[in-house]
Amino acid sequence: MAHMIERHRHIIDFTLATLLRRKGKNGGLLLVYTLIIFVLASVIFFTEAIKREAMLVLRDSPEIIVQRTLAGRYQTVPISWCDGIGSIRGVSSVQPRLWGYHFDRTRRANYTFMVPAQAPPQSGHVDLGSAVARIQGATAGDTIALQGHDGAPRAFTVRKVLESESQLLTADLILISERDYRDFSGLPAGQATDLVLQVRNQREYATIVEKIARMHHDARPILRSEILRTYDAVFDWRSGVMIVIFSAAALAFLIFAWDKATGLSADERTEIGILKAVGWESSDILLMKFWEGTAISLTAFMVGTILAYVHVFLTSATLFAPVLKGWSTLYPYFRLTPWLDFRQVATLFLLTVVPYTITTIVPSWRAATIDPDVVMR
Amino acid sequence: MVGKLPSTLALLLALISAGAALAGTADLKPHKIGPKDKCPVCGMFVSKFPDFAAEIQFKDGAVVHFDGAKDMFTYYLNLSRYAPGRKTADIGAVFVTDYYDLAKVDGLSAHYVVGSDVYGPMGRELIPFGSESKAGDFRKDHRGKRTIRLRDVTPILLKQLD
Repeated sequence: MAHMIERHRHIIDFTLATLLRRKGKNGGLLLVYTLIIFVLASVIFFTEAIKREAMLVLRDSPEIIVQRTLAGRYQTVPISWCDGIGSIRGVSSVQPRLWGYHFDRTRRANYTFMVPAQAPPQSGHVDLGSAVARIQGATAGDTIALQGHDGAPRAFTVRKVLESESQLLTADLILISERDYRDFSGLPAGQATDLVLQVRNQREYATIVEKIARMHHDARPILRSEILRTYDAVFDWRSGVMIVIFSAAALAFLIFAWDKATGLSADERTEIGILKAVGWESSDILLMKFWEGTAISLTAFMVGTILAYVHVFLTSATLFAPVLKGWSTLYPYFRLTPWLDFRQVATLFLLTVVPYTITTIVPSWRAATIDPDVVMR
Repeated sequence: MVGKLPSTLALLLALISAGAALAGTADLKPHKIGPKDKCPVCGMFVSKFPDFAAEIQFKDGAVVHFDGAKDMFTYYLNLSRYAPGRKTADIGAVFVTDYYDLAKVDGLSAHYVVGSDVYGPMGRELIPFGSESKAGDFRKDHRGKRTIRLRDVTPILLKQLD
């Protein structure tokens, strides 16, 4: 056992020395290789993290949301719908929700207004999300002024600034009382933004949705699973775009790596010949080539993955957030919760390190089995 | 010692309620399904299908979980095979899961719909409801054949469902 380890150690020693002797070529390869892994890992980490964040938000979202459409466009829902929909078997509760968006012209920012179901602020007061509080430069107790739907400004006292446990959820949020919101947004009494339904048995979703559609022809019921699917599709699509862009780079690398790995240069062939002549066995040479491939690809893999982690979770994916987030312009500061899925890392490993290592072995095996005399000549 | 407490408690409750024939059901509470609880009829893990779960509680505190009302009735109607030495009179309470509320309701007074398009983990099922009106609505929505009560459930009917 000790002898085995010793043998491997010596061969690795020799391999690293060989690699260092061709600094330029191997360094270039390592650089491109690392870059590719960095990009791939960044895309994977980023999409997965943002998907998780979205799931976190949607996990607590209601099972069914009912909206109303007019001429195919979104409309407010009459609160009187609640009674009819609430009487459908399997619906345990119906709640009207009041919320909407507001564009602050003076500060060029979008806010989300919401009337919370539990413990809304009293009239004249608001709770601010962290980003809104920063933009407004307001803390608890301050007064802020916002322009209502009729152009007249309204003043609110800040009750508190919301703790930001999930940035996506609360950053741009303003919580307000129902009376204030109707006055501010012009939403008429008896109307709500949408209705949320609690349904215990998910087998009943389809039946309930069908009954709602029959009850109100202009109703548009949305299932939580549909929202989840849409999010999934959007993020998958975005990461797909990224992959396509970088697939050109990946292809270039592939050609480069293939060339480097499969075709042994005359130098290397001579080296193998000399090694055999001084008494190396074919297996030793294969081992050396194996360690060479492993050293390069493992280094590239680790450096690339670590860089991607730093890039995505510590610098908020600055390099390609504009493409991936899309709507992220709303958020001046948006940090993802670090999360590493072992399966993804393993997949990345299997798709990059393993094939590279294997492609380096095959040509060396061919060279190693030829007579040293022929190789050297 | 600590582990024995719930069963002792159940026994106590069962003893208190032993006076009235079926009043026990009102006092006994449905148990939580453990991750290791298996259906004695089909052998499946019950915790994977909480939406259909049923349970029988014996007066001595023993609890049996089932992955559907059908298996519960199979057991109930054939105690000599599945629980030798026990009689129907030893049963303290029967609970089934109401389809709409997913809450455990008394299985002895529940209404069951057969022949509907809703399938349980064991295929065709008797779908339980706490009230007749719920069962009626369900029958309409899911093309159920008929609503039955405990006394209508027979081995022949269960065989048809299998």
